[in-house]
Amino acid sequence: MDTAAPDATGVGCRRAWITARRDCGPDAFVLEVEVDDPPPPQPPGRFAMLSPWSEHDLGPGPVIPRPFSIYQRPAPERFTFLVQVLGPGTRALDALSLGDHVALTLPLGNGFVLPPPERPVVLVAGGVGSAPFFAYLEERRAAGAGERTWLLYGARSAPRLYDLAAFAALGTPLLTATDEGDAGFHGSVLDLLATELDAGRLPADARFAACGPEGLLHAFARFCRVRGLDAEVSLETYMGCGFGVCNACAVATDPDGPLGAWPWAKTCVDGPVFALEALAP
Amino acid sequence: MSDASLAVSVGGLRLSSPLLTASGTFGHDPAALALLDPADLGALVLKTVTPEPRPGNPPPRMAEFRGGVLNSIGLENKGLDYWRETVAPQLERVPVPVVANAGGHRIADYVAVTTAFDAMAGVAAVELNLSCPNVDGGTRFATDPGALREVVAACREATAKPLWAKLSPEVSDVASLARAAEAGGADALTVCNTMRGLLVDWRARRPRLGGGTGGMSGPAIKPLALRLVWEASRACELPVVASGGCQSAEDVLEFVVAGAAAVQIGTAAFRRPDLFSIVARDLRGLLEEERVGLEELRATLEPSPPVS
Ligand SMILES: Cc1cc2nc3c(=O)[nH]c(=O)nc-3n(C[C@H](O)[C@H](O)[C@H](O)COP(=O)(O)OP(=O)(O)OC[C@H]3O[C@@H](n4cnc5c(N)ncnc54)[C@H](O)[C@@H]3O)c2cc1C
Ligand SMILES: Cc1cc2nc3c(=O)[nH]c(=O)nc-3n(C[C@H](O)[C@H](O)[C@H](O)COP(=O)(O)O)c2cc1C
Ligand code: FES
Repeated sequence: MDTAAPDATGVGCRRAWITARRDCGPDAFVLEVEVDDPPPPQPPGRFAMLSPWSEHDLGPGPVIPRPFSIYQRPAPERFTFLVQVLGPGTRALDALSLGDHVALTLPLGNGFVLPPPERPVVLVAGGVGSAPFFAYLEERRAAGAGERTWLLYGARSAPRLYDLAAFAALGTPLLTATDEGDAGFHGSVLDLLATELDAGRLPADARFAACGPEGLLHAFARFCRVRGLDAEVSLETYMGCGFGVCNACAVATDPDGPLGAWPWAKTCVDGPVFALEALAP
Repeated sequence: MSDASLAVSVGGLRLSSPLLTASGTFGHDPAALALLDPADLGALVLKTVTPEPRPGNPPPRMAEFRGGVLNSIGLENKGLDYWRETVAPQLERVPVPVVANAGGHRIADYVAVTTAFDAMAGVAAVELNLSCPNVDGGTRFATDPGALREVVAACREATAKPLWAKLSPEVSDVASLARAAEAGGADALTVCNTMRGLLVDWRARRPRLGGGTGGMSGPAIKPLALRLVWEASRACELPVVASGGCQSAEDVLEFVVAGAAAVQIGTAAFRRPDLFSIVARDLRGLLEEERVGLEELRATLEPSPPVS
């Protein structure tokens, strides 16, 4: 039996303040925030909506908040986020200083359901898609399954293997791939996955999960379908609210799949983690 | 000043606060109430329900610009039967009045949904979405006073509950539409809805929304909504519920001075579901500071606009 995810109690929009910030790549940083009234422990893969705080109105930054996976939880009242700076939403967070407040709506989404410890797990991350896997690896290690939990971490180039040292420090098996070939396997993380599987260095009966850019996830889904692998993806769909009220985050589902006949699921509530068979091929 | 100072009355409905959610921006059901303090919410306005299920438009369904968002959801909803079976029973336990929103293409659609809402104990009032820009023909009832009057009158026959007509901003003369809704028997007006816009990805030579164009909402449309609330409230006797760009207590009071009895907060709650409490707190503070009540402030904007 897979272990059941804890309840999503404690959901709400909180005022958090920034307690730490460090760069972890040329265009990314780790942001640590603290709240007064923390929610209970959460399964890996849940996310938060973040935006600069204002006391009377929306305040600075874009009109809608931005979704980020919960990266680490160094203390019950502290959360970190691994943020890649892309556009106005992430730039607004990048501009904040220690002590500044952010609006933090969490915990959101379904999160990963962890397989039993004896089952091997292979996690495939592209760039900042590594964020939800830190807590996943921590939990597997705590369950005594660390050595059966691989992280395949790919990026364009070595500096974009964000916060690699933190992942390495977990002590769980870690393989890297870069398009430019300046670290690890020279090529895409999917080519690395295929190579390792074909060489028998990764178990094909593992649970596979991937998170990263849309192109990678599509290719991963094709790859797993062709090979008949048991796989999940964590989607980074564009979101409006993050808590199920706007219908912006529609993702096409398989009408014969586990989510039922309705053609769409909401990534923010039904996901962001989806079993491959739930999504339209 | 006590909390009671925020109580307002909208077309026969007593509300403990003038702050309402906006249809389509706070869900199909009451689940998201968990994210706010219901004590600060006057009413929960739910997503449009159509007689038949509507899958909605292809993604991407939302795109952002400075000051607002463009959406092309396309009225995704599971239809009236689903709503009657799964949503309606939940409404009886909701701690605030619920305003259910009806949509459709033909008069018979609006009547069917209104009739069903009338029979639901948990529905306090019915809002007619006469103005969705994201469905074919969705604005016909919004732009033609004769058609608008006809659909409102038909729904009036179908319910004794307060009936609100939600008007479109895409009209040259909102006053004639406000009067048509009044003549059709509406109890209140919601002014306004989103206004069609286009965002472009020039590199791809494509619209940024899967549905092409979409409805603009958020702070950017506040001046448009203020103008329409002002004109509509002067044109008829009906109370006006403002909708468009509200994000603060100052905004609420601007709408009230322009003629609004209550104000919906839509897009702004995506970022801050707690905004209802923030705005309610600030409203109490501002009213206390100015030693004035909401009713006193209402429709005090001078001079009057030219009434056509
Ligand atoms: C559940 C979930 C979890 C996420 N977790 C993280 C996380 O832990 N860390 C993190 O850095 N990001 C994460 N993201 C993605 C993050 O939300 C977006 O990168 C962010 O919203 C971009 O906002 P922006 O205003 O900075 O850029 P935008 O102006 O929105 O985008 C800038 C550019 O990036 C492109 N872009 C935007 N979003 C994406 C995307 N998802 N994938 C690829 N390209 C995109 C746009 O097309 C545009 O060209 C997550 C997304 C979801 C849905
Ligand atoms: C994502 C989204 C979905 C919406 N769906 C509906 C709807 O189903 N029915 C409706 O009457 N209005 C709908 N609206 C319009 C809102 O109710 C509101 O009138 C409009 O957004 C302007 O207010 P705001 O600027 O506060 O968001 C929608 C708006 C948005 C942003
Ligand atoms: S982002 Fe609003 S419903 Fe999912």
